[in-house]
Amino acid sequence: MPALQSPPPPPVVQVREMDFCYGSSIALEGINLAVERYRITALIGASGCGKSTLLRCINRMNDRVPGARVTKGEILVKGKNIHDDDVDLTQLRKQVGMVFQKSSPFPKTIYENVAYGQRTHGVKSKDILDDAVERALRHAALWEELKDRLDQNALGLSGGQQQRLCIARAIATRPDVLLMDEPCSALDPIATLKIEELMHQLAREFTVIIVTHNMQQAVRVSDYTAFLHLGKLVEFAETDALFSNPRQKLTESYLRGTFS
Amino acid sequence: MPADLNNDSTPSRPTLGSLLLKSQRRTFLGVDKQKAIRFFFASNSSAAVIVLVLIMLFLLREGVDFLPTYRHELETYQHAGLEFCDLVEQPLAEHQQLCSKLRRVLSASLNTITYQARSRRDAAYQQMRDVEEETRLQRAVLTNALAEVPPAALEKLAQLRQELLTATQLAVSRLAVPPSLTPSEGWQLKRDLALLSPESAEPPLVLELLSAAYIRVDTEAHASFKPLVEAVEAFEAAPDELHTLLNTLKKHARETKALVTDFHSSGKGHGRKDPIDFASRITPLTSRIPELSGRIEAYAQRAQTAAASLPPQAGTPQATKMLSEMRAMLPGHLTEMRAAAGKLPQWSYEKRVSYFKVVLAFFFGDAWITNSSWQDFFGFIPLLVGSVLIAVLAVLIATPLSIIAAIYTNQFASVREQDFIKPVIEFIQAIPSVVLGFIGISVLGDVIKDVSHVSWLQWLPGFPIQERLNMFNAACLLALMAVPTMFSLAEDALNNVPRAYIDASDALGATKLQTVFRVIVPSARSGISAAVLLGLGRVIGETMVVLLVAGNRIAIPDFRSGLGVVFQPAHTLTGIIAQELGEVSRGSAHWQALFMVGIVLFVISLLVNWCARAFVRRFELSKS
Ligand SMILES: Nc1ncnc2c1ncn2[C@@H]1O[C@H](COP(=O)(O)OP(=O)(O)O)[C@@H](O)[C@H]1O
Ligand SMILES: [Mg+2]
Repeated sequence: MPALQSPPPPPVVQVREMDFCYGSSIALEGINLAVERYRITALIGASGCGKSTLLRCINRMNDRVPGARVTKGEILVKGKNIHDDDVDLTQLRKQVGMVFQKSSPFPKTIYENVAYGQRTHGVKSKDILDDAVERALRHAALWEELKDRLDQNALGLSGGQQQRLCIARAIATRPDVLLMDEPCSALDPIATLKIEELMHQLAREFTVIIVTHNMQQAVRVSDYTAFLHLGKLVEFAETDALFSNPRQKLTESYLRGTFS
Repeated sequence: MPADLNNDSTPSRPTLGSLLLKSQRRTFLGVDKQKAIRFFFASNSSAAVIVLVLIMLFLLREGVDFLPTYRHELETYQHAGLEFCDLVEQPLAEHQQLCSKLRRVLSASLNTITYQARSRRDAAYQQMRDVEEETRLQRAVLTNALAEVPPAALEKLAQLRQELLTATQLAVSRLAVPPSLTPSEGWQLKRDLALLSPESAEPPLVLELLSAAYIRVDTEAHASFKPLVEAVEAFEAAPDELHTLLNTLKKHARETKALVTDFHSSGKGHGRKDPIDFASRITPLTSRIPELSGRIEAYAQRAQTAAASLPPQAGTPQATKMLSEMRAMLPGHLTEMRAAAGKLPQWSYEKRVSYFKVVLAFFFGDAWITNSSWQDFFGFIPLLVGSVLIAVLAVLIATPLSIIAAIYTNQFASVREQDFIKPVIEFIQAIPSVVLGFIGISVLGDVIKDVSHVSWLQWLPGFPIQERLNMFNAACLLALMAVPTMFSLAEDALNNVPRAYIDASDALGATKLQTVFRVIVPSARSGISAAVLLGLGRVIGETMVVLLVAGNRIAIPDFRSGLGVVFQPAHTLTGIIAQELGEVSRGSAHWQALFMVGIVLFVISLLVNWCARAFVRRFELSKS
C-alpha cells in the first residue's frame, strides 16, 4: 500500500456518474472512476459487461458508432471535459493513445508505422521523426530487434512483435494515457509475458488503463482494478485489496468463479 | 432412394470407417452415388475449361494455316515480279504527296488575286439559286404545262407565267444584296432576277458579266504567278514517261500472277511445284532495267529542274511555308528513287521467302491492304497500334473517374448517396455498346470537333481537328464502358481494407481525409491496380464502339503530331475482324489472317487478366 501522507495527485482520467447508451439500450450506468497518474488500472468483468465500451469512451472512439452517446455524467481527461465544444478530437487522441485487441500494423514499413501518428499531426522534419521512432521503439523494447530493418514491411513481424509495434505506434505521439483493450488475448504465453514486462516500464511515463479477461494478468500488472458487471462498476480498489479482500459479494463470487 | 438420401443428409459427419463400409452399397454400372455426384459436379466445373480449350484449338486450327498461305502469296508476289515493280512504285507514291502540296500552294496563291471576283460571282449565283428555290413550285407547274403534248391553252400559260412572275418578284424583293456587289450591280441583279423564268435559256446578264470578270481575273492571276504555275505543271508531268513504262511492266506482272492464281484455283494441287516458267516470264521485266533506270534518272532530273524553277515566294505566308516544306522533302524522295534504281539489278525473283520473314511481315508489317487488284498485305502493326492507343487512352480517362468515384462512394457518401450512385454507375454497364456508338457518331463527335475549333483552345495539341470519328472519341466511350467494372472492383478493394486499420488510424488522431489517403487507399492499392487492369481487359476486347466510332482508317497514326495523334482515325484488332470476317471467303489468306488477329487478341486478353490476378494474389498474400 502506498503511503497516505501526501495528498493524492489529481486523477488523469476521471469518469463521473456516466451513463452510456447504444441507441436505446443502456450499456453503462452510473460509472465513477478516477485513474491515477503513472499507475496501471485494470478493468475486469465478464464478457459483454461494458469494459471495452468504457475504455472507448475515454478517447471517444464511440463517436463513430451511430446512435452511441453519453447520456449522463462526464469524463475528464487532465481536468478537461472531453465532450466540451472546444475539444479537438485530434488533440484528445494525441493525449489518449490506444492499443487494440487484434494487432493491426498498417501494411507499411516499420518506420512508417511508428511515425504515422507524428506525421498525421503535421510533423515533417526527418530528425524529429527519426528521434520519435527510435524512442518509441526503445520504449516498446523493439529497438534492438528491429533497428536494422526499419524499412521492411511491418506485416512480416511475428504476432508479439506486431502488438509491441502497435504499442510503439501509440506511444510515439507521447500521450498521457494509454488505453489497452485485451492486448494479449491473441498472443502466446511468451509474447504475453514480454508485453506484461513492458507494461511496468510503460507505467513510468504513461498512465495505463488495460482491459483484460485474464485475472492473473490483472494481478500481475495492475495497481488498481475495477470490476464491472452488467454495465455497472461494482468495485474499484487497489488490486491487492480487491483480489485478497473483495468488499462486494458480486466481486467475490466472480473472482471465485462461482458466477451465474 | 429415400433411404440413401436420409443416410447422407444426417448432420453428424460419417467417420472414415463408415464411409468405407458404405461404399460397398448399391452401385450402378460400377459407380456408386457418391462418385456419381462428385463426377456431376466435376464435369460441370470442367465444362468451362473444356470450352476454353476448344476455343483456343479452333482459333489455332484456322489461324495456323495462315503462315504457309501467306508465304505462298508473298512468294507469288516475288516470283511474278510484282515486288520488282513495287521497288519503283512505292517510292514514287511520294510524288503524289509532293504534287498535292504544290497544288495547295498554287491555289492559295491564285486565291489572293481571284478571291474577290470569285466571291462576287458566287454570291450572285447564290442569290439566283435562292430565288429559284423559293419559286420552285410555280416553275415546276409552268414547265409541266409547257411540256404537255397537246399544248396548254394560251390563257392558262399566261396565267401561270403571271403567277410565276408575282412569286419571283416577291422572292426578289426579299433578297438582301450581298455587300461585295456595288449598289448598281445589286440593282441590276434584282432587275434581272425578277424576270427569271424557265423559258429563258441564258442566265441573267449580270451573272454572265460577273463570270466573265472572274475568268479574266483568273487568267491574270495565272499570268502573274506564271513561274509558279509552270513549275507546278512541269513537276506534275515529270514522272509521266516513267509511269507509262511502269504500267506496262505492272500489267505483265499482274498477268503472271493471274496465271498462278488460275493454276491453283483450277484445283491442280497445292504443294506441287508451279509449272509456270517464272524465269521466262520475268525476263520481259528484268530486260528493261536499263530503260527503267534511265527513266527514273530522267524523272529525278526533271523534278529537280521543275523544283528549281519554283519561285522562292508564294502568294501567302502559309503557302510559302508549305513550299519550303515541299522543297525540304524533295531531296530525300529523289535519293530514294535513285536508290530504287540501284536496287533493280540485284533483285532476283528466286530468293526464298523464309517463315521467319513471313512472321515478321505479319507481326511487324506496317500495311494492312486487302481486296487489292495488285497485292494484299497483312501487316498487323496499324491495327495493334490503333487498339493499344485507344485502350490505353480509355483507361487513362476512366481510371481517375472511377477511382475517385469509388473513394467518394465508399468513404464519404451518405447511405442515401451510396444507394443512388452505385446503381447508376452499374447501370452504365447495361447500355448496349451499339447505342454508345450512336452517341459517339451523332453527339460526341460533333462536340469534340466544335470544341476543337474554339479559338482560345488552339494551344492544345492536334486542335483544330478534322475528323469527327477518331480515336479520342472512341476512347471516351470506351472509358464510359470501363467505368462500371473499374468502379465496382475498386470499391470492393476499398471495402476489403480491414476495419482494424481504420480504427488504429482514428485512434492516432488522424482526420477522416488522412485516414482515407494515408491508410485506406494505400492498403487497397493492389486491388485498385487489378481493377485498372481488368478495365483495360474490358476495353481492349470491345468491338462495337470502336468499329462505329474510331474512324476505321487502316494506317499507322502519324505520331509527328505529338499528343494530337489521338484525334486521328484508326482501325483496331477487334474492329477489323467484325468488319471483314463476314465478307471474305472461308479459308482464304485474308480469312486466316483475321483468325491470326483473333489469336493475338485472345493472347493479349489472357495476359491482361493474368496480370490482374497476379496483383490480386500479391494483395491477398500481403494481407494474411
Ligand atoms: N457497436 C455496438 N452497438 C450496439 N451495442 C454494442 C456495440 N458494441 C457493444 N455493444 C453492446 O454493449 C455491451 C458491452 O459491450 P463491450 O463493451 O464490448 O463488452 P466487453 O468488452 O466487456 O466484452 C454488450 O452488451 C454489447 O452487446
Ligand atoms: Mg471487449
